[in-house]
Amino acid sequence: MNSHDATVLGYLVILLAGIVLQLLATRTRAPIPPLGKVIAWAMGTRTRRVGILVAWAWVGLHFFAR
Amino acid sequence: MMARPRRSRAGGPSSRDQPATGRGPGDKGASSGPGGVPPGRVRAAPSHLVTVLAGLREPIVVILLIIGFMSWISGKPLDGLLILLAGVSLAWDAGRRSRQAVPAEAGPARASPAEADPAEASPAEAGSAAAGPAAREDGVPMATAAAHPPASVTAAGSAPGAPPAPAAAGRAGGPLAVRRWRRPALSAAWLAAGVLYAVVVGSFSRYSWPATVPVAGLGAAVVAIGWRSPRHARPAPARPPAAGLALWGLVFVAGCLWELWSLLEQPNLATSSYAHPTISTLTDPVLSTWAGRSVVLAGWLGLGWFLVER
Repeated sequence: MNSHDATVLGYLVILLAGIVLQLLATRTRAPIPPLGKVIAWAMGTRTRRVGILVAWAWVGLHFFAR
Repeated sequence: MMARPRRSRAGGPSSRDQPATGRGPGDKGASSGPGGVPPGRVRAAPSHLVTVLAGLREPIVVILLIIGFMSWISGKPLDGLLILLAGVSLAWDAGRRSRQAVPAEAGPARASPAEADPAEASPAEAGSAAAGPAAREDGVPMATAAAHPPASVTAAGSAPGAPPAPAAAGRAGGPLAVRRWRRPALSAAWLAAGVLYAVVVGSFSRYSWPATVPVAGLGAAVVAIGWRSPRHARPAPARPPAAGLALWGLVFVAGCLWELWSLLEQPNLATSSYAHPTISTLTDPVLSTWAGRSVVLAGWLGLGWFLVER
């Protein structure tokens, strides 16, 4: 396994961890909130709501804008 | 801005009810601030720099500033400038409300340090559940949303346990029937507009001005909408369990650190590396095609819609 593969594997592991957390949240009684509830809670105040929306806008800018 | 009557502590802190100006009714009501200094004098000349620094207590502000800085030094000055601008504005806004909250919160009624937190989290998390959605927003009355209920509220049922009876529909006559078909029609129109946006903007090459303008314009519009008020007036959700939040936070931070490590392993910040690809590098092949760009743009739009609807 070279560095490229290891780096990609790292991303996949993190993605898989997120999927596992979501499954645990929705399929079991573990005290883990689904991602949607976390985001809904995070959007509950203006600072966090605007911050998250700015981060979303940045994603678009980063991939498409000059 | 109209000054609303102060609520009791049980109804949640009312820092957001304070007027936006430095001097206001809050000054008139209290004879002296902490330490015997008149609050009006304390708030008379707030330094903008101190206000911004006070806003840095919000983690999301720090994250935005880091993103902006990294974008700037990575050869994306426009990204970096916009994010830094948004981060500083948000820090100033959060710091301003925090500073306004301090004199209002100080006094014999102070019960606990947690309650004295001038940050805005408390009204949404604790106060609004008791005081209703109108108490939730930062100085922006939610009456607008209540006066013009969103389609989701009106169509989904006006009261729990009271499904819209045919008799009621008959009494309501035309308006209710109009509302019933208006929501799907509106959703279809938004969907069509989104697909059109994704296809048209996706046809432009990346990092070109024709791609930059619509993406930056939409991003700015959505942020402006979010800054004003949430689209739907609804009670603030309860704080999720701390352990669950920590786990999600761990995944998020791990992703950020992995991306940062890959970025720092590049020959330089503006040159991608095959051995240590960032997410941007990995998505380059997909985004090099019209279809790929359109699909990613559609996903970006969908995510934005999901966030705006929270």
